[in-house]
Amino acid sequence: MLEFKALTKQFKNTVAVKPATFTIPDGQMVGIIGRSGAGKSTLLRMINRLNEPSGGQMLFQGRDITALKGRDLREWRNECAMVFQQFNLVGRLNVLTNVMSGRLFHHNFFSSMAGVFSEKERAFAIRALDRLGMAHVALQQTDTLSGGQMQRVAIARALVQEPRIMLADEPIASLDPLNAKVVMDALRAINQQDGLTVICNLHTLDTARQYCDRIIGMQEGVIVFDGTPKELTDKAAREIYGAEAEDAFSEAMTSTALRPGAQRAQPEVRVVN
Amino acid sequence: MASITTNTPANGSDKDPVSLFESHRRQMIRDRMVVNVTLGVLFIAFLLWSAWISRFTPDRLAAGLPRIMEYFGSVMPSLQWDVLFESRDEAGRFPPGSLGFWYNDFWKYIRLIWETIRMALTATLIGTGLAVILAFLAARNTTPAHWVGVAARRFLEFCRGVPEILFALVLVFAVGIGPLAGVIAIVIHATGALGKLSSEVVENASMRPVDGIKAVGGNWFEQMRYGILPQVMPNYTSYALWRFEINVRASAVVGFVGAGGIGAELSHVISFYSDDRVTAVLILIVLTVTMIDLLSERLRHALIGKESLK
Repeated sequence: MLEFKALTKQFKNTVAVKPATFTIPDGQMVGIIGRSGAGKSTLLRMINRLNEPSGGQMLFQGRDITALKGRDLREWRNECAMVFQQFNLVGRLNVLTNVMSGRLFHHNFFSSMAGVFSEKERAFAIRALDRLGMAHVALQQTDTLSGGQMQRVAIARALVQEPRIMLADEPIASLDPLNAKVVMDALRAINQQDGLTVICNLHTLDTARQYCDRIIGMQEGVIVFDGTPKELTDKAAREIYGAEAEDAFSEAMTSTALRPGAQRAQPEVRVVN
Repeated sequence: MASITTNTPANGSDKDPVSLFESHRRQMIRDRMVVNVTLGVLFIAFLLWSAWISRFTPDRLAAGLPRIMEYFGSVMPSLQWDVLFESRDEAGRFPPGSLGFWYNDFWKYIRLIWETIRMALTATLIGTGLAVILAFLAARNTTPAHWVGVAARRFLEFCRGVPEILFALVLVFAVGIGPLAGVIAIVIHATGALGKLSSEVVENASMRPVDGIKAVGGNWFEQMRYGILPQVMPNYTSYALWRFEINVRASAVVGFVGAGGIGAELSHVISFYSDDRVTAVLILIVLTVTMIDLLSERLRHALIGKESLK
């Protein structure tokens, strides 16, 4: 259980996230929606402390996450993996090494500096890649992949962390609809098969409705909606998106008419370079 | 289509976009002309001023140049064709005028040049290693703390600000005459120069992979090793090779103050003999430096070429 107690983030002149209090039970798939600049990313990045909260508290299974430092903080980051909009992989390393870097927390100084990974870790990484249909590019240099492939590699890296929570910061915003579907299906599968909590920032309403158990709507740093997809009426959505409402709706219609699991678009198109 | 060229402004010819642009352009050219002329005048003034201070006048030049020639004349070998390839006589000496006489100490020179190259190689390897670590500390985007960055940058400035020969002079006192003093002196200077260049490369690197490694629970060292190092490695290799060229020249010079290498021999033959041995050593140094320059340039271009293809 992840509890937020008046968690706040303030930048110099603006309050990005106003005191937020809510609870996410284990195993839930949560979608955070809102227009750009609403504070979604800041909220998500506060969970693994890539952004430092300026006030309030965050508890995971009763442990105070906001107070963690040094090795404890890194252990927490290892426990809650993150997937980014721009994938944040190391382009000049091969895919396998990128995935294995998810194990870095468990390494000592010398083995990580020397880049030595065990056979077990390699096998683990290959299994994670295979699960996402990416094992065939394991030895390819990462920056030769397409965006959709990179995001799947990034999810594989997150998986080998054996996390308890998966954070996804706009995971499909840079992808075409087909790849967006593959990535969202993968996140949903991780949530349902592995029982991981998935917290996902999404730009488009439709995707959030299709994939998430619960939707949190943010507007100018304030949580203005918190409920099930059914409860999110068009009227409520319009309030979240304000002036951008028409854009959000039309975007939802054009770019992500996705149906989870309907016909699993497994990566049949394999790019072999 | 026709409207592009024949379009007349809706409200008066003074707002015609072409004439507006032309007058703006003329104004810019005029402004730039003023700046250029001012800079030109300043340049000539400074040139005359510095020539006056250093008394760089044509007559002094005319008087001095022949003396350079004169010196080189005195250190030229007097080779004679008939004995040029003569070998040692019964007493074990080469006849004067032969190549063997000129390069009597050939193997000693070669040993010293080899020592010079090894000094440069050692200094480059150690200097690059130190520079890589210091670059991560000095770069504004990767420094662990603001004050660490400031301290690292000042330290690098000091290292590259002081010439090798000064470090060598002090180190010869500290660790004694020999290559060790030279190697340390070159390491310090190379670290300063390479560290500065490398930290600029790091500052231009993408921070996204660093965020990625941070998010998996990696510490600062792992963020640098996995997030930054792969991005900057090709540049580092190229810089290290380029620095090796410079270090070969530097290690030939530090010998003048007793810090090992061929420089010591050059200094010795200049101050004690000033005869054909000076040219013997000089020619070998120039040959070595040229060869290493060409070799390293080839390697660097191969490296850069490979990179740009990707």
